[in-house]
Amino acid sequence: MEKSLVTNEISAVKLRGVGDGFKLTLDPTMPEEVILKEITALFEPLKHLSVNTKVVLDIGNVQGYDNLIRDIKFLLKSRFDVGGVIQHSEKISGVGKDSGSTINHRSNSNKDNSRGWVTDRSDALILTGRVRSGQKIETQSHLIIAGNVNPGAELTAGGNIIVLGALLGQVYAGYPDDEYAFVMALDFRPTQVQIGGVVSIEINSEFVGKPVFATVKDNKIITEDYIKTQPFGKIQWPTVM
Amino acid sequence: MEGKIIVVTSGKGGVGKTTATASIGAALALEGNRVAVIDMDIGLRNLDVVLGLENRIVFNIVDVVNKRCNLSQALIRDRRIENLFLVPASQSDNKDVLTPLGVQRVAKQLKSEFDYVIMDSPAGIEKGFENSVVAADEAIVICTPDVSSIRDADRVIGLLYARSITPRLVVNRIIPEMVARGDMLSHEDVMDVLSIDLLGLVPMDDQVVVSTNTGMPLVMQNQSLAGQAFRRIAKRINGEPEIPIQVPTAMKTGFWSKITQKLGLTK
Repeated sequence: MEKSLVTNEISAVKLRGVGDGFKLTLDPTMPEEVILKEITALFEPLKHLSVNTKVVLDIGNVQGYDNLIRDIKFLLKSRFDVGGVIQHSEKISGVGKDSGSTINHRSNSNKDNSRGWVTDRSDALILTGRVRSGQKIETQSHLIIAGNVNPGAELTAGGNIIVLGALLGQVYAGYPDDEYAFVMALDFRPTQVQIGGVVSIEINSEFVGKPVFATVKDNKIITEDYIKTQPFGKIQWPTVM
Repeated sequence: MEGKIIVVTSGKGGVGKTTATASIGAALALEGNRVAVIDMDIGLRNLDVVLGLENRIVFNIVDVVNKRCNLSQALIRDRRIENLFLVPASQSDNKDVLTPLGVQRVAKQLKSEFDYVIMDSPAGIEKGFENSVVAADEAIVICTPDVSSIRDADRVIGLLYARSITPRLVVNRIIPEMVARGDMLSHEDVMDVLSIDLLGLVPMDDQVVVSTNTGMPLVMQNQSLAGQAFRRIAKRINGEPEIPIQVPTAMKTGFWSKITQKLGLTK
């Protein structure tokens, strides 16, 4: 039954991806019930992508239908958590580049920062277990080891390195030149730390038994007591690394 | 029933692989098993000396693998311990003369004839190590309580896991007095880094030197603490895993403790 509906009827709604949002083209002369049903059917499989995105609504060059537009906005925002719905008009699109900037500006102001992590992606290689002497782990993303890193083991990550355990091996975060990367370990006793292009040997262990956080400051690797310093405490929103 | 091939390895040299192989092999044979100890340290053979069988070598493991003789011709029977056999290494070849395939073929034959086949691996992680572990069912990693030995053991453990062999650890040459003073790593420190199953703890024992020089197996000397530790290790391998692991403790050497020991008041 479902199939025949799709094939026999001309669909009232068309959806396509535009830039980092969606463009919804619809025929406002169709019954509202049908339109809302079709929008729901189209957005349902895209639920995970639609959060915080902007949707441009194109109903053609017609006037009126304010109720319909309001209902569609309500549906998209309440059910699919979209960031903002704006109406596309021939006038705006005629301006060309400006239209893009207008849309961006408005959609950004609508974006919910507190939920930015829902759509922003972050890659991390998360491993459990012990990394033994002679073993090398290399990744372009962040690296999280739930376990210990023994002396003689080597970790290299394009991003940050977090060790939920004892770090006794050699680590290279921010490979090859990201000096904003950090290294963190619950027990921080590495043989060598490199962050971006800065190398540190003979790490002094003034924070024995405490979680330590290592970053680059003034071209030097600085280690700090993680709990005391709270390096991420000032960030207001959950933000993707 | 098919026997088990156990490789004794360490990565680092001089930590007691050969002594452990000879002792565990002899102890397993004393328990009534048919045991073959194989010296895989081609070019630097020692196991024959430790077992006191160096004068009886005609063929060696290289001859067997390269089909210059039968396995039975290379097996040297120990006269003191029934059911203990040695296949010596070659002293004149180098480690490249063996191939993993050849070793596997001989290992299969050994497995069908013996309950336990203990392979004494050479130091290092190169070809000699590869040849030793290729046919192994189990592995014993020997480690002394020092940082360099632990690092090498750690590397070897990683390599063994990569071959799907689960190793067990023997910490050798523990000097309890030094551990008590904090001058030597304790077995707990070693376990913290290596985190594998502990098979046994062996104290430092002067008798090892005597035993190696005289070719008298350590486990046959009842007063040897290391010998006793190896006998317990053999028992754990031989289906008695519940035997508690004894932590070597410092001997009291003071005047009063000697007297109370004599009187049987303390141990």
